Amino acid sequence: MLGKRLEQFLFPVRSDRWIAILRFGLGLQVIVYALSLRRDWNYLFAADNQGIISRELTEAILSVKSAFIPRLGWLVTLGGKLGLDEDAMLALGWAALLGTGLFLLAGFLCRPSAIAAWLLHLAARGSGGFVTYGVDSFMTIGLFYLALAPLPDRYSLDALLFKWRLKADYRIGFHQRVLQLHLCFIYFFGGLAKLLGAGWWDGTSMWRALTRPPFNIIPAHALLSAKYLLPFLGIFICLLEFGYPLFIWLRSTSRAWLLLVLLMHIGIAVAMHLQLFALIMVILNLAAFGSIFSGYSLARQRT
Amino acid sequence: MRRKQFLILWCLAHFFLISVVCWRDTLSVIGRGYTFLPGFVGTYSRSAESTLSVLLGERLSSSNPLRQLVSVYTYTSGIDAGYGFFAPNVPENYKLVFEIHYPDGRVEYELPRVSSTAAGLRLSTLIDNIGGTPYDELREVMVKMMAYSVWQEHSEATLIRAVLGLVLLPTPNEFQRGIRESYQFTYAYDFRFPGASAGTKQP
Repeated sequence: MLGKRLEQFLFPVRSDRWIAILRFGLGLQVIVYALSLRRDWNYLFAADNQGIISRELTEAILSVKSAFIPRLGWLVTLGGKLGLDEDAMLALGWAALLGTGLFLLAGFLCRPSAIAAWLLHLAARGSGGFVTYGVDSFMTIGLFYLALAPLPDRYSLDALLFKWRLKADYRIGFHQRVLQLHLCFIYFFGGLAKLLGAGWWDGTSMWRALTRPPFNIIPAHALLSAKYLLPFLGIFICLLEFGYPLFIWLRSTSRAWLLLVLLMHIGIAVAMHLQLFALIMVILNLAAFGSIFSGYSLARQRT
Repeated sequence: MRRKQFLILWCLAHFFLISVVCWRDTLSVIGRGYTFLPGFVGTYSRSAESTLSVLLGERLSSSNPLRQLVSVYTYTSGIDAGYGFFAPNVPENYKLVFEIHYPDGRVEYELPRVSSTAAGLRLSTLIDNIGGTPYDELREVMVKMMAYSVWQEHSEATLIRAVLGLVLLPTPNEFQRGIRESYQFTYAYDFRFPGASAGTKQP
């Protein structure tokens, strides 16, 4: 009985629209990521004192975790065997990443593009080590799920050009469910950790987050005029995140909750200059729960 | 049917790992006393965190295949760390300044720099990682690498001094009283390129 209910929950019947949103969104994310680092790419990832922090040091530390985690050093080694130098291979890695982003955006060769984007971004994340932050983890999560998801979706070039179509595949609903549950974990633990810090209750953390370089976009004087709002804003964010796993599923609150979460991320992009971070969170939320806005209730989807 | 069973098993294993990693990180911040919870909770948290680390294979030798498998899987699926960004409190941040000393006694000051805002954010993360690392040797090596890239643009300099400081932000009330951002000295390193292979640390 329990197994049956679990199966019903994990394999709802869904359209592949959410996969199109994830593919298109991650394509856009990869393109913006690559373009934003275009001028500094080699400086961030070079070895032998040519970069800001030697890639060799980062990759040596990564090897302590495991020697099997992808890294740009593999690409450079391969280039060396073909007679290409490090600069050329790093540039090629960057161009390949941008190319996978463009392919994903268009939906051309979806599966190979998704896997290549996932591996190339993993390599950059692994070799970047000390210069990576939250956005890289979320990009890995998104690209990992996209690489596993049933592809191509009906809006892709693959479907238009080659007539490749997904059948009514039980995996479409399953993979969306996994993404939905993962987002619930992300917000629940994010909210819980914040609730445990005194600074989020008295507004200190909001003040620090908004005045801390390099996130200090809003002038502190302007922020000061709203200092009595900061505690409420801090508690509101904690509750928004902590309550996500419950209120995103309730029919009466799901739309409002998703809208507020999206607004929170857009607010972070504007107020803290974290556009890449905001973009990936908006994409993951829309892919997971965006169907709420089209009036397709989660309760109906569950059956 | 068998495919569905396989997917269910994968799903259970996947979320088991996510839960363990998330609880481990949450318990870690409690155990280190970063929350408002009473001290005795921290003792239990450290013990529970240790147990969860066992579940992730972190007590096994680094070459153990099970530990390798878990490490690679969690890393490549992006579930190797929890999601407590800016939590439980917004962390301290650091500033790195280079003093460039020339043979004629001139001294110039320079901040590490990159070309774009996106890379600037990563640079800031790097400096925070350097300031936050508990390993003195690693910190020195990383600062030396950054100092070397500065020296490459000022190769006539005789000495590059790297000064790492903690940024002290005023509270809203302090800011209202006119107190502004200040810096607390943490480390300084002197480097000569080419020449001395190691820097001289000034605590």
